[in-house]
Amino acid sequence: MPRQRGARAAAVIIAILLTLATAGCESAVSQQQNSTAPGGPTPRGGDLRVGVLGDLSPKAFLQIGTGSMNGQVVANSFDTLIRYARDSLTVEPSLATAWRLAPDGRSLALDLRTDVTFHDGRPFVSSDVENSIKAYLSGPWTPQFKRTAAAITRFDTSDPHRVILHFAHPLSNIFDLLDSAPVIDQNTLPELKAGTAFNGTGPFRFDSWQPNSTVRLVRNEHYWGGAPALESVTFVVVRDDQSLFTRLRTGQIDVADGLSYHDQQLVTQRYGFTGLTLTGAESQEYVGINVTNPALSDVRVRQAIAYAIDRPRIINDVFRGSGYTVNLPWPEWSPAYRPEANTTYTRDLDKARALITETGPIPPLTLDYSTQGNDRVIAEIVQSNLADVGIEVRLVPNDRTQQSSKLIGGKFEGLWLLQHAFAQFTPSTLAVSAYPFNAAKNSSNYSNPAYSAAAEAAWTVRDSSSPEALAAYRELDEAWLRDLFLVEIGVVLRQVATASSVGNIDWDRRNQLHFAGTYLASEGKQ
Amino acid sequence: MTTHQSSTTTTVAAAPNAEDPDLVPGLLPESPGDREARHPRTPLWRSLLHGTGLVGSILVITVILCGTVGPLLTPYAPDQQIDGAYLLQPSLDHWFGTDDVNRDIATRVLYGIRIDLLIIFLAVPIGAALGVVAGLATVTHPVSDVIAQRVFDVILAFPALILGITLTAILGPGAVTVGIVIALAEIPIFGRLTRTSVLRVRELPYVEAARVSGATTSRILLRHVLPHSLEALSVQFALSLSLAVFIEGALSYLGVGVVAPAPSLGSILAGGNGYLETNPWFSLGPLIAVSILVLGFYLIAQSISHDRRLRR
Amino acid sequence: MTGYLLRRIPTALVVLAVASILIFAVLRLIPGGPEAALAGPDATAAELAAIRHDLGLDQAFITQYLAWLGDILTLDLGTSYQVGGSIADLIGFGLVNTLILTVAALIIAILLALALALTAVLFDNRFVAGLLTVVNAAAIALPTFVVGTVLILVFGVRLRLLPAGGIPPNGFTDSLQISAQYLILPALTLGLPAGAMLARFLTESLRTELQQPYVLTARALGASRTDIVLKHALRNALPPTLTALGITVGALLGGAVLVESIFGWPGLGLLTEEGIFARDYPLVQVLILLSVAVFVIIQLLADIVHAWLDPRIRLAGDR
Repeated sequence: MPRQRGARAAAVIIAILLTLATAGCESAVSQQQNSTAPGGPTPRGGDLRVGVLGDLSPKAFLQIGTGSMNGQVVANSFDTLIRYARDSLTVEPSLATAWRLAPDGRSLALDLRTDVTFHDGRPFVSSDVENSIKAYLSGPWTPQFKRTAAAITRFDTSDPHRVILHFAHPLSNIFDLLDSAPVIDQNTLPELKAGTAFNGTGPFRFDSWQPNSTVRLVRNEHYWGGAPALESVTFVVVRDDQSLFTRLRTGQIDVADGLSYHDQQLVTQRYGFTGLTLTGAESQEYVGINVTNPALSDVRVRQAIAYAIDRPRIINDVFRGSGYTVNLPWPEWSPAYRPEANTTYTRDLDKARALITETGPIPPLTLDYSTQGNDRVIAEIVQSNLADVGIEVRLVPNDRTQQSSKLIGGKFEGLWLLQHAFAQFTPSTLAVSAYPFNAAKNSSNYSNPAYSAAAEAAWTVRDSSSPEALAAYRELDEAWLRDLFLVEIGVVLRQVATASSVGNIDWDRRNQLHFAGTYLASEGKQ
Repeated sequence: MTTHQSSTTTTVAAAPNAEDPDLVPGLLPESPGDREARHPRTPLWRSLLHGTGLVGSILVITVILCGTVGPLLTPYAPDQQIDGAYLLQPSLDHWFGTDDVNRDIATRVLYGIRIDLLIIFLAVPIGAALGVVAGLATVTHPVSDVIAQRVFDVILAFPALILGITLTAILGPGAVTVGIVIALAEIPIFGRLTRTSVLRVRELPYVEAARVSGATTSRILLRHVLPHSLEALSVQFALSLSLAVFIEGALSYLGVGVVAPAPSLGSILAGGNGYLETNPWFSLGPLIAVSILVLGFYLIAQSISHDRRLRR
Repeated sequence: MTGYLLRRIPTALVVLAVASILIFAVLRLIPGGPEAALAGPDATAAELAAIRHDLGLDQAFITQYLAWLGDILTLDLGTSYQVGGSIADLIGFGLVNTLILTVAALIIAILLALALALTAVLFDNRFVAGLLTVVNAAAIALPTFVVGTVLILVFGVRLRLLPAGGIPPNGFTDSLQISAQYLILPALTLGLPAGAMLARFLTESLRTELQQPYVLTARALGASRTDIVLKHALRNALPPTLTALGITVGALLGGAVLVESIFGWPGLGLLTEEGIFARDYPLVQVLILLSVAVFVIIQLLADIVHAWLDPRIRLAGDR
């Protein structure tokens, strides 16, 4: 009987599928829930699973902002000499317990902890500081504080527990370097570059790395700051923010670093996850301007652009309110922050149109943006804002590598959209290390001796919060507001979402999470 | 004969006890109607006008009308950003709500249809034509056969999306690049199909006869073989149109489709994908358009192959 | 048959050689080099030049190509720019995952195609036929990324029946049940459109076969319709379907790029996509060459089986 046979075949197939779907007692879904035995006040043990976008890239290990996995390993397997407080530039001890800056600002003496060992058991001594900074400089990586590191001319390591750094000139941002450059083991440097060993002094030892999949760190029982509560941390490589969202919601991961702002709002407001706002690790969304483009060489056109952009809409809609509008890069807590300066340019279509009428019609401009993240939406908003004042803009999407290479080469034809960071460090760092602001060579092809002089002055001052330094920042501010080679949109705060069972996550200035004090509670599970 | 066919083709295939005699191979020896039906060649377009083909045509024409006339009826421009209209729910003003850049989604879908149709109706015919020429070249000479076949292999061997990402990276994104990727992907498909059907047809007695009577290869190919393969090619053509919609969508999802703010069905879908949980209607509009379009082409393909079978 | 094989193998090698040159050249045509991906946005031009030199990218194109070809021929796949590890290790891990996913998707596709096609041919009424047409068209029409996301939201997030992505944390061999649950959604997403395409193809082939004279003979001899379909028509409908299957495997490998990205499945598709974005030349070269090689081998197998099943092709090729 044909029908019966066909029906039977179909039934068998359906049965197989159903069995596969619901088979047996073992459920992958229940298996993936994190269960920790209930403990005392700070529960110990457990494996914290952290979803991050991007994988380890040993060749870029010491660069800031190259996918978050590098930073996570730097933050948890290594230590730095000092740590900045989260919401000010107050220097706090880490591997160095005390420091004295010479009155002329040309040397810095650091007292080192005596009870620190690397993961392989070797004690940490002053020559490790020298070797680490030299390794920081030598590559293959191209870390951002290279110029600061290169200005250290001599290391005095005669005392194993004290190091004296001698500088070519006063270095106002020396602590930025010391907050960023991890202390690494000279003996295993080749393995570090190959990505096979990560021998640091940090709270977690490197256990394994499965490229494109996971990185696992385990508790360092001999950590000088006390063994961490967590048994281990597993970083899960997730390639897009949507799968980060579903995995957090289904309990496959406990921490999601890099959710879209919309999803972040959704999980924290509707589904009971905890949101962390990483104050102190701000970045800035900006529109860059190639000032050598004939249409953009007239500063009035650039001013019209600054007046046209609807900053509040971008911060509210795209970043879901996680940030604030500015005209200058500084975050609110920075010594260089001045609220009154940030009202210079607000959306004022009449002013913008008047400026364009003065200059005459402008040929269509290009706006380059990166197809990664939410820059497409911002680009469309900016395009529409500029159309409002009579500036026609054509959007040019680039993948992230193209965008980087155009940025470094100064090859953007007209406008471009990107984020920058480094305003969250010592203010002088911005004009020395961040490429868009670099006084020597920047992607706007902007050069101005006064700007260079102010940048140099801010960098070579002894004390980064002295009146002298503040005057130099003022001068930089004025150059930015006057010459507008880039138009700031807003300061953006990165957010992280965690399951409610996760407690006490720390972070640093580079968007890196520190899990030394983190614990997993059993109660309050999703 | 026409009336006879249109009455039968709605049944897709025959059951042993179905009433249509010419659909039941082997139950009745031959009916007069059946005999006659195979000789006069019905033009291909007839398959579009009856049975499933008609349904398909109606669906496709509906979408085409939406794409051509629809934009005239909406009060918004496709790239018009409406103040404060961030991700609005569907309403009388905005049938499918608004997107994350404050634009009316229904308007964007209508304009998106236009761009999609333009891309696929240009790219697929070009790719198909190149493929058929290459396919015919394969059977004219052993050397060209080997070369063309290996070219097909090389193109087919690159996964279409990887090809798309790479080509876009070189040529820069845009509707033209999407078209080139689609056309390129169609060449080997049509090439191989042409080759296979030519090889099959070539062994048939009447081609054999033509060859014996001294007709040149190109004449045989053009006069005898190609018309015979036409139906197989049209089926593939209709399917390729629906595949092209799919490629456009996938490229947009990977961020290498048409350049913003121009709407395409794929780019609207890709934009809505991040909001499926909170704003499903964002994706619903383009999804309906894509589904109707693909279903339409699919039904047409099915109708053509059904008629072809009948005519054998 | 041996002659046929002997002629096909050298051409397959030519395809690989041409593909290798194409891959090598095309990758270098993409604007933005690996140095920009490695150095990040704050690097200087001098630092970029140094990285290019380190990677050997400042040498002549031909020199680079020959060096790479030499390495490949001695089975030295090199090291990845971005990851730094051995490419052989990277691909080994990714290949296993992709193979598992592709094979699972292929099985789903074949089962689906057989089920749909046989149902369409055996149950012969308008309702079933119409239903199958819509199901089939829907499977083709719905974009993979929407299907994948909806499946995740429904089965992973809402119903909590299946994992929302990723691979089994303890590996595939640890527990087959767990592995199967991780596989279902991505394999279904990947296999659905392929299965629908294949089903359409098989249905058409079967229906064409049912019009053939031998079916008439079989009917006359009293064979039931089911017997004819299963014993005769199916066998004859298989050769053209096999060709389609060859292309389907290609489509699956291609579709894996999307599915792996949606489900966070650490396979070769994900590796390729990331590699292209990072301009990781050595990695992407090997990956694409590998996929070409796999495709060429599948084609070779399909052609051989096809020629074996359909003598006309073999004879025509001999002429």
